[in-house]
Amino acid sequence: MNRETVKYPFYLIVHPFNGFWDLKYEMNKKINLIISFFILFMMIVTNILSTQYSGFLVNIYNPNEMNSFLEIFYVIVPVMFFCIANWSLTTLMDGEGKFEDIFTSTCFSLTPLVIIQFPWIWISNLVSMEETAFYYFSTSFALLWFVFLLFIGNMTVHQFTPMKSIGTLFLTLIAMGFMAFLCLLFFSLIQQIISFFYVIYQEIVIRY
Amino acid sequence: MKKLLVGFVVFALIISLGPLQVEASVNAPSYNYSYWGNSVAAPDAYSADMLLTGEQWNIGGLVEPNDLFVTADQNIYVLDSGNNRIAVIDQDFQLIDTIDTFENDETSGTFANPQGIFVTEDKHIYIADTGNNRVVHLDEEYRLVDYIEKPSSELLKEDFVFQPVKVVVDNADRVYVMASGVFDGFMEFNVNGEFNTFIGANRVQVDPIDLIWKRLSTKAQRSRMVMFIPTEFTSFDINEEGFIFSTNADGGKDVIKKLNARGTDILRREGYYSPIGDIRFPIDVGPSRLIDIDITDSEVYSVLDAKQGRIFTYNGDGHLMFVFGGLGNQEGLFHTPVAIERIGDRFIVLDKALGEITVFNETEYGQTIIEANRSYYQGKEDQAFELYQKAIEMNANLEFAYTGIGKALLRQGDYKGAMENFKQSLDQKNYSKAFLLYRKEQLKDYFPTIMTLILVSVIGITGFRIIRKSRKKREGVAIE
Repeated sequence: MNRETVKYPFYLIVHPFNGFWDLKYEMNKKINLIISFFILFMMIVTNILSTQYSGFLVNIYNPNEMNSFLEIFYVIVPVMFFCIANWSLTTLMDGEGKFEDIFTSTCFSLTPLVIIQFPWIWISNLVSMEETAFYYFSTSFALLWFVFLLFIGNMTVHQFTPMKSIGTLFLTLIAMGFMAFLCLLFFSLIQQIISFFYVIYQEIVIRY
Repeated sequence: MKKLLVGFVVFALIISLGPLQVEASVNAPSYNYSYWGNSVAAPDAYSADMLLTGEQWNIGGLVEPNDLFVTADQNIYVLDSGNNRIAVIDQDFQLIDTIDTFENDETSGTFANPQGIFVTEDKHIYIADTGNNRVVHLDEEYRLVDYIEKPSSELLKEDFVFQPVKVVVDNADRVYVMASGVFDGFMEFNVNGEFNTFIGANRVQVDPIDLIWKRLSTKAQRSRMVMFIPTEFTSFDINEEGFIFSTNADGGKDVIKKLNARGTDILRREGYYSPIGDIRFPIDVGPSRLIDIDITDSEVYSVLDAKQGRIFTYNGDGHLMFVFGGLGNQEGLFHTPVAIERIGDRFIVLDKALGEITVFNETEYGQTIIEANRSYYQGKEDQAFELYQKAIEMNANLEFAYTGIGKALLRQGDYKGAMENFKQSLDQKNYSKAFLLYRKEQLKDYFPTIMTLILVSVIGITGFRIIRKSRKKREGVAIE
């Protein structure tokens, strides 16, 4: 872990074309994965802290419904869904990226979200109602930056043309919807099965 | 065996004693709505005190009474529609008079199923004499002054039947009549009883699906469909400043309206929810159906929900202050409530089917909230602060009271305390105001220190850089 690796995500977000290219073809895969997981972890931390500590003027939260574990899922589940959906699609559409490449590029794309939103958790406590416009501007800017990076990352990783990667990203969204639906179906089925066996168990226990 | 017997006796005693301890008067569990839309238990603000019936005054039972009016000197006018008469009662609930006929020049007039009554400050009585299609105007001696009958106006259809249901009179003696089958708003009559105009029509509520069907259908089909017409009003009342407060059965967000002279709705809806009665209700019951409204001082108004028999009281900002009442068979509950009025801070509720009037007295909690709101309205911030504090001690979940405290603290210059209270009541607008003042104050205190620190660090860093550069140069030169 030298200085260059720590600086790399910052280099990547301002030079996405070169950055993603080097990420796939030049850099050490293992170190890439470590950085990716670190960024993902920071994203989770940012998410949890911002729901709890963001300023009152930009964030009214119900302490009864705030759950840090769920906040972890809110970050991990979409990222994993995106990676799996994207991988499943691009494998069929002649994409060159491996799952690992997709995962690292997605995580690296999250960097602007972290570096912009993390300081805002604290700054948002120091602004008035009128100044919250800056907060909303920054967060939307971070989001746009993230989408842009995701697009470039996908294009570079799979060696797609711009139009094709836009198409794939769109299809990925639909695939994510399908996955969410299947997951819900699966969990509700499991629940039904469990309750079915539980009822049988109860019946037997009460009868004998 | 003996033990068992003793046990039995004790058990029987407990059972027989049980009912004795139950009081005759009950209060339906009181509640208020939190910011998050949950109903949260609250102390009772009002409790039933007594029941008034016609038998008490030896005038026979009230038959389907429809309306109540309380004058400024606290005389109560009960419109006993089934008996076509008016009972006048003083503030101690003793009968003063009954009015069933009034002197006309030649003959004496009577009422036919009157539905609404209004009494002006100089004790002139206006009665919506529905069965006779007229509004009767009597003076303080119950002599006829004038009738308001079906107006002739090009705004009205030829076959229009004038059926006044409710009537109010403003300070300038203009008469506003709510008539059944009129969808254009209230009918405004001038001092001489001539029809002026309609004011304050409700907007048409259109179901998008119905609209699509209507667009798709042919003209012949359309002509046979139900028309989109605005809903009628269910009740109205007028306050001292001449604003008309009305209720309707739209089921939308503006079932309560405050109308100015032009008929524009100017009700403040700054509370956590629009004032619509219950915001949580069983699906089979549906939203509240508000059928009467009463306005008192300090812009406080109460509405009566016919569906669940509850009375909701809101302050001028639209915050729900308290709820009481309900449907049932015990004292303090109603069968078919039709009208509410206030005598001072007490409430009277008229039950149409039972012909009874229930009198509610405020509890200490209710008194505190009302007084707190009144003090704030009158600008007595310190008193409001103390009363709100007291209200919170009795009910820590009364969220809007924290705003009251916050506003008082803000006025006193305790910005930090104000911020904390606005945070409690989840009031971002006021929080921001307090925060700006707090930030200014803090910056004023720390500005010199902060500026010195920044200046010193800037000088320090640049100095350090210059030194390092020159040293590197020298070293570089040395190596070469």
